[in-house]
Amino acid sequence: MNTRMSLYVLPAITTLTLLFSANCLAGKPLTVYTVNYPLAYFSERIGGEFVDVVFPAPADVDPAFWTPDEETIGGYQKADLIIINGAGYAKWTQKVSLPLMRQVNTSKSFKDEYISIEMNVTHRHGPEGDHSHAGTAFTTWLDLSLASRQAEAIYKALSRKLMDQKSIVQKNFEALIADLLHLDEQLQDLSDKKPALPLLGSHPIYQYLARGYGLNISMVMWEPDEDPGEQQWRNLQTLVEDHATSWMLWEDSPRPESVKRLEEMGIKSLVYSPCFNRPDEGDFLTVMQQNVDNLSVVFSGAD
Amino acid sequence: MDSLYLAWRYLCFYKVRSFILIGCITVIAALPLALEILVNESERQLSLRAESTPLLIGAKGSALDLVMNSLYFSDASPEPITMAAVDQILESDLASPIPLLIRYRSRTFPIVGTTLDYLDFRQLEIKSGNPFSLLGQCLVGAEIARQLDLGPGDHLTSSPEAMFDIAGVYPLKMRISGVLAETNSADDRAVFVDIRTAWIISGLGHGHTDLAKSTDESVILKREAGQVTANAKLMQYNEITEDNIDRFHLHGDPVTFPITAVLALPHDEKSGTILQGRYLDQDSNYQIVTPAKVVDSLLANIFRIRNVLDAVILMVGTATLMALVLVFSLSLRLRSKEMETIFKIGSSRATISRLLGAEITIIGCLSGLLCLIIMLLLNHYDVELVRRLFI
Amino acid sequence: MIRLSDVRFCYPTGEFRLAIPEMSVAAGEKVAVIGPSGSGKTTLLNLVAGILAPDNGSINIAGTDLDRATDQSRRDFRITTIGFIFQDFGLIDYLDVLDNILHPYRITSSLTLTAPIRQRALELAEQLGVDARLKHHPATLSHGERQRVAICRALLPDPKLILADEATGNLDPDNKQLILDALFEATSTNHTTLLAVTHDHELLGRFDRIVDFRDFLVNEPEAS
Repeated sequence: MNTRMSLYVLPAITTLTLLFSANCLAGKPLTVYTVNYPLAYFSERIGGEFVDVVFPAPADVDPAFWTPDEETIGGYQKADLIIINGAGYAKWTQKVSLPLMRQVNTSKSFKDEYISIEMNVTHRHGPEGDHSHAGTAFTTWLDLSLASRQAEAIYKALSRKLMDQKSIVQKNFEALIADLLHLDEQLQDLSDKKPALPLLGSHPIYQYLARGYGLNISMVMWEPDEDPGEQQWRNLQTLVEDHATSWMLWEDSPRPESVKRLEEMGIKSLVYSPCFNRPDEGDFLTVMQQNVDNLSVVFSGAD
Repeated sequence: MDSLYLAWRYLCFYKVRSFILIGCITVIAALPLALEILVNESERQLSLRAESTPLLIGAKGSALDLVMNSLYFSDASPEPITMAAVDQILESDLASPIPLLIRYRSRTFPIVGTTLDYLDFRQLEIKSGNPFSLLGQCLVGAEIARQLDLGPGDHLTSSPEAMFDIAGVYPLKMRISGVLAETNSADDRAVFVDIRTAWIISGLGHGHTDLAKSTDESVILKREAGQVTANAKLMQYNEITEDNIDRFHLHGDPVTFPITAVLALPHDEKSGTILQGRYLDQDSNYQIVTPAKVVDSLLANIFRIRNVLDAVILMVGTATLMALVLVFSLSLRLRSKEMETIFKIGSSRATISRLLGAEITIIGCLSGLLCLIIMLLLNHYDVELVRRLFI
Repeated sequence: MIRLSDVRFCYPTGEFRLAIPEMSVAAGEKVAVIGPSGSGKTTLLNLVAGILAPDNGSINIAGTDLDRATDQSRRDFRITTIGFIFQDFGLIDYLDVLDNILHPYRITSSLTLTAPIRQRALELAEQLGVDARLKHHPATLSHGERQRVAICRALLPDPKLILADEATGNLDPDNKQLILDALFEATSTNHTTLLAVTHDHELLGRFDRIVDFRDFLVNEPEAS
């Protein structure tokens, strides 16, 4: 190309490229509503600038037991995609009307692998009131191989909607999967060091984590910020007689009194956050990485 | 010569006879035209709705019943299938499914259990209020709102079935969340609910007080560890409110719950063809139909019937005209004295023929005018008439 | 006004024959025609009116030879020159009194209905005492009122000749006199000739001349 041509062609190409990009940017992003933060994170990572992800549950409420008001339900109904966890997560979705065609049940591909739980005691935490964990365990994303399958379901739905940006979306998805599987690998390596090491879970949310990585976790129904009560302490005492363990996993930083009393029983505390809500700092990956780091102490040989 | 004036005076004097004559001629003239307009409009409406519906899946049986119930909400419900059919379509990734359960009524209006996708599919707009969001809410068609003077916030109750059967369907009081804009289709006369609300109406789900916390021992049959069994005295809620919605639950796996049909919207033509091929298996419990073809077949039959009707109308019309000729000729005979007088006064005998001709002209014009008015009215209201009378 | 000369008439069936060698009526004259039933009195009126055409002879009415005129000419002549009054009144049931009076103007193009004609109709109605019944139909009128309406209708075109066929035949004795009074008064005003067929011998004294039809009747066939 001679100099004269390049004077015209290059600016033209640049202008066209800018216009094209501007057009893409000017196109309205897809509105994606999710029922919890992990799914919101996956959607943001995969969709990138082409999606507007909304996770409307308040930060101080467990989204599994949250009930949106009618206005928020209206937002879900109008969304381009509604990302559902499945496995009975967020029971409010069973009581409201959401368009079926725009719903993505991210755990449907492994519905045969759901874990049933039989505990039928109600309890209360947060402003939502009494609730029960009976039925199906729903914290599927704590098994990061299942999390990657949930991410894949989101990817499929988004790539159908974003045909023109499919290659970018695919790239984003592959990057996310790489991150998730890296964490998955770390957890596998950890658990291989001490298979079936007895652990305690403060809340019945670690079922998929336990199964996915061969962890021997017995769970009670304690809250990090509440005194479980003497009966619960006695129950724990009985439990550890059959399930001798040195560690209890907490979903959030426990109260110092509980930590101290556990230590008196020879049980140390570590935080393994399910990351239901958007963290104050970092994101899903950093929280999971922190979880893995916390857990690594258990398997590093120190009791 | 004032033939028209004299003819007019004659017709006004013999009003009853004149009305009867005008009426007969108007009916004979208007009937075939009216039939033509109504049949054409019926064909148009039937075809339009059918053509906009790509595929319909239901139980094996009458394709016509399936189409009429699913598209026009007719009374005859086809044999039910289950939600498994919906899952099957979802998993095939060939089409988007919209389940339909059209089995129950509120007064005379059909209750259509479906998902919100139906509103997008039919491009139904909300005139006031919102689409149903919680279970127990409903969205009503424009005509229902107008007829019953209902709006968002009002209530509508499903009609009980088998009133004296203890195991029958109980009425559910539904809050109206919104009213649809007029569509001039069967949707104007329908009550739309979430498919799960329809299952609750059918008795597959219900709500009642929390038995674990209940202090009324008279409703408890027995208590065992982890299980409380209630007796028949237990009162079930007949309305879903924000206070009791958490106590409503479905009994069983929704995959096994009944629906009457699935609207299948193929992603593309190839997917549609593949999907149809999957249901052609003789052993399949399902049938897949293209509503446009079913309706075309129905219309072909209607066309044949219309030909017969046209022939009948022609014969009746001929007979009526012959009767009219007889009436006029008898009228001439009755007016022989008048003829005599006119002749003697100095007019020709043909004057009576001219007077008769003028009468026939006036009657013809009035009939024609009435016919025109009827046709104009029909043209204006044909859409609504067909919807009310036939569809 | 009327001149019949050697008029012969026979109906197509051949059952009745009429032969009038000579008959004349002067203008303004009031002539009564009497005779037995079936003697041909009405046939005479029909010949004079031009309704029937004679087989032989001449009929001259107000200077017009009707025997040579065409059917259309005779009708036009009749409606403009001759007024007819019938025994059964001959009113049109579906027209009110005013329309009945104006009727001749509506059934032929030889007469034109104008405002002055309408005015004259109202005057005639008033003259004959039926002006209060203009909007009534014949069925609601008495026999006397009906005949008076018929007289108005006959007089409206201002005819030169009135032919009355048993005009008082369906009236009671009081009405007969009244009708005759009205007829005579109306025809006298315009010097209209009146040729009236009647069976009422009580009324004969009021006429200028009486013609006995027994003189003109031919019952047996004419010898060939």
